[in-house]
Amino acid sequence: MPETQKFAGGSGDSSSDNSLQANSVVHRRYKILGILGQGGMGAVYQARDLNFPDVHKLVAIKEMLNPATDPAIHNSTLKLFQREANILATLNHPAIPKIFDFFDQNERFYLVMELIVGSDLEELINKTKELPVDKVIDWAIELCDVLEYLHTSQSKPIIFRDLKPSNIMIDNFGKVRLIDFGIAKIFDSDVRRHTMIGTEGYCAPEQYKGNVTTLSDIYGLGATLHHVLTRKDPRLEPPFSFGERPIREFNTNVPERFVEAIERALSLEPDKRFNSASEMKADLERLRYQPQVAFGAVAEVNDGTNFFDGLDADGAIQPKWKYPTEDEIRASASIYKEMVFVASYDTNVYGVNLADGEFAWKYATHGGIAASPIVDESNRLVLFGSEDKTFYALDCRNGRISWSYTTQDKIRSTARIAPDVDAVFFGSDDGHLHALNVLNGRFLWKHDMGDPIRSRPFIFNDLVIVGAESGEMVALELSGNRKWGFRARRSLTSSPYVDTIEGICYVGSTDGYMYALDASSGYSSWRFRTNGPIISSPVVHEGLLYFGSADGYLYAINAQTSREKWKFQTEKAILSSPVVHNGAVYFGGIDEYFYCVDIQTGKERWKFKTNGAITSTACIANDVILIGSLDKTLYALPLVG
Amino acid sequence: MDLFRRLFTQSQAKPDELISKTIEPEPFEEQKATEATTVPIPAVNAVEEKDESEIAYADGATRPLPPETVITTSNMHLTFGQSTDVGMVRSNNQDAAFSFFSTSRNADQRPDFGLFIVADGMGGHHDGEKASAATAHIVAAQVTSSVYLPMLTGENDADRIPITEALVSAVQKANADIIARIPDGGTTLTATAIIGDLAYVVHVGDSRIYLITKDGIEQITRDHSLVQRLIELDQLKPEEAAHHPQRNVLYRALGQSESLEIDALTRRLPPNSRLLLCSDGLWNVVEEKDMLGIVIAHDDPQEACDKLVALANTNGGTDNITAILLYIPSS
Ligand SMILES: Nc1ncnc2c1ncn2[C@@H]1O[C@H](COP(=O)(O)OP(=O)(O)O)[C@@H](O)[C@H]1O
Ligand SMILES: [Mg+2]
Repeated sequence: MPETQKFAGGSGDSSSDNSLQANSVVHRRYKILGILGQGGMGAVYQARDLNFPDVHKLVAIKEMLNPATDPAIHNSTLKLFQREANILATLNHPAIPKIFDFFDQNERFYLVMELIVGSDLEELINKTKELPVDKVIDWAIELCDVLEYLHTSQSKPIIFRDLKPSNIMIDNFGKVRLIDFGIAKIFDSDVRRHTMIGTEGYCAPEQYKGNVTTLSDIYGLGATLHHVLTRKDPRLEPPFSFGERPIREFNTNVPERFVEAIERALSLEPDKRFNSASEMKADLERLRYQPQVAFGAVAEVNDGTNFFDGLDADGAIQPKWKYPTEDEIRASASIYKEMVFVASYDTNVYGVNLADGEFAWKYATHGGIAASPIVDESNRLVLFGSEDKTFYALDCRNGRISWSYTTQDKIRSTARIAPDVDAVFFGSDDGHLHALNVLNGRFLWKHDMGDPIRSRPFIFNDLVIVGAESGEMVALELSGNRKWGFRARRSLTSSPYVDTIEGICYVGSTDGYMYALDASSGYSSWRFRTNGPIISSPVVHEGLLYFGSADGYLYAINAQTSREKWKFQTEKAILSSPVVHNGAVYFGGIDEYFYCVDIQTGKERWKFKTNGAITSTACIANDVILIGSLDKTLYALPLVG
Repeated sequence: MDLFRRLFTQSQAKPDELISKTIEPEPFEEQKATEATTVPIPAVNAVEEKDESEIAYADGATRPLPPETVITTSNMHLTFGQSTDVGMVRSNNQDAAFSFFSTSRNADQRPDFGLFIVADGMGGHHDGEKASAATAHIVAAQVTSSVYLPMLTGENDADRIPITEALVSAVQKANADIIARIPDGGTTLTATAIIGDLAYVVHVGDSRIYLITKDGIEQITRDHSLVQRLIELDQLKPEEAAHHPQRNVLYRALGQSESLEIDALTRRLPPNSRLLLCSDGLWNVVEEKDMLGIVIAHDDPQEACDKLVALANTNGGTDNITAILLYIPSS
């Protein structure tokens, strides 16, 4: 029994008073020298066999208590013990210690066996930092070999049942030896009345339903190898959670094919594992003894197919049209009816036909445009700020100016409209959040935050929520009164997003954290750490929060618990905000790719290469995805799953 | 619409405004599928609920109110009950329960605060009850000083540490304390801090929290037990779990190891919903439909708690039983 099961009820403690004393002679033959180890059912002693008076022949004696008090049960247990001992005595394999003798004395059973000089694998894990992977593969092969022997050499397969580091010894020749055969299980009463903490950790799921087969040993071997390589003790982790701890995350020295073999051995469904120990052995031998060159060749072939797959995917994703501008496209396009509006750092906002990407109109400002144009549908206006410090409202049909409003500094914040109060809100580098009448641009109020505001305000429950470069975030009533405040450790360039059902506001900061706050009080409930600044604005879809980080990952985390569901790695930082549509999440990377990732699996569906970094958010309508790139081009991609 | 009035009056809204103030996604957003997809459909429900309560407010007593709201008055706040019993078989009660609630009315407008804890101790020689008691007290003391007191004084409002983080570190502290002081003891811990209508939950082990709404009863914590894990992985049917020989094996509890993983989650509590915290002494012997029945049938949370514990005893009382029940006000 593992030591982690602290509170096991039932079976009595192995009181040390009854254990064999040093120098005592048992069974008129074995002189006890000391204790080798303490097991669940009794001690394992080192003893000298006095039948060989001229040589110092040492043996190991394993002691097992018989907890049964009922004489009938006691007797049947004795019979079982004898039968099992007889089977063990006939086994003949280099990894199985020889059984010399067995007897019972004072209500206890004793098994006399070959003494193994070495240490068990658990000790080895505790004593070392890392074991050479080649050595581990060798041991795995030897373990497969002995399992194959146990499973096939007798008329009935012998199932080990309990493969784990403490039951595997590495002798002084570096060879694997299996100790602790199922024999101990005869005495192991399974009555567990009290709650206890800790699980076996290495047992296959089917063993808990009483369906033990030879394939359960394959799982136990996989579990043992996983522990040895990752150093993560499965007894301290949720049962059957090996899949959540990918081996290479803890140990990059392990070759991919060894990882695959272990993962296969750890399949929850027995029929998905190797069919037999010998099949696993063959697989491991192939990867162990394949010359390094061949290894490389295999990898190359794999890369090759991936490469062609990529080409296929690229080939499949052909833009419906492209719209070139004169400078970087840093912000998102928007769509109204048959029109697309896109702003470029070339100082223009363009009106483009959605169907074919044909130019309709343009409006020139006096500065680069980094904010996204938004549409006020009821008034048919396109609204945006420019680095010329001015906020513009254009007629969306012809691009003619309706009104404009000037702030004290550059405008890089995308605006937000509160339709039922006809107001538009946006931040400026002049440190203010500005509120204007959307119909005529009349000034309503402004709120001083002291530092540039580059994020896009969010409106929820009559609150305007916005973050500033100072790291401060405020929620203002529509009248401009401050309702609550919050501070991140660095700037809030990422725009806040409110899950309107739960009323929780999410915002990323360049301090690397994603924060969750109660949108009505500002109390923060959790924060989630990434390894890079967060500029990308989050989005919630069906309880999952999606966002990118400058650490190169797109994260999908549970919005209630902040637990990671998956993360998707790109080559460089992700500044663009994700968009979820029809079971996929779309986002662009600084690595110049636009990605479509399955939200269930976190695996790539396709990607599309542009010629510049992508910092803006995709805009999806009907059957097109619009994405702008720093290569100055707006791409209209067909919407394919 | 008079924009000026809307923007410059405090939200002392008139009834007609309240009604018109439904939360609808901006029409623009709807068209732009990018964000429309992220506005989940059930929003309609939430809006309806909100509407109802607002209408009830707006036109006074002109329509019948749901029965739960009749007993509460205008200064509505959370009410709770707490009950614990040794059961019919065990000789001592190793469960610990803790309830704290504060409400106030003043110009500062601090939200109501509550802290509720259930801990189910395990281990012989009184170690179990020591572990659960220590855990309840340490968590209560920590959360009071790191969350509740700063809320009262309003200090550093903007840079408070996130609440679930404060809860998690309180549990970590309790875990370290048990390992140091009660090495042979262990305990589950299920606690919730209520701030306004948000429940911040931390959880380790197999005590549970159920959320009871008009739609039924939902377990919002996840047991850290071997059988639950087997069920989650489709390796065991829920009905097989009830009689599984190893149904009492936990894979996570306080006092087990220095590195403790703690579940944390945040839930908005709908108006008139009820929250039940309980140890396995209750849920092992009382079926969910019976819990639901009892909770729905009682207007007084204390009475309901007593009934729940009594039923557990009637059904065998094989373990210590603890129940804490919170009634969330209608608005
Ligand atoms: N034949 C042996 N030679 C040397 N040491 C042994 C031998 N058998 C067992 N041991 C030591 O005793 C410990 C407990 O033995 P084991 O058979 O696993 O007992 P249990 O069944 O109680 O787990 C082992 O981890 C090992 O260190
Ligand atoms: Mg052992």
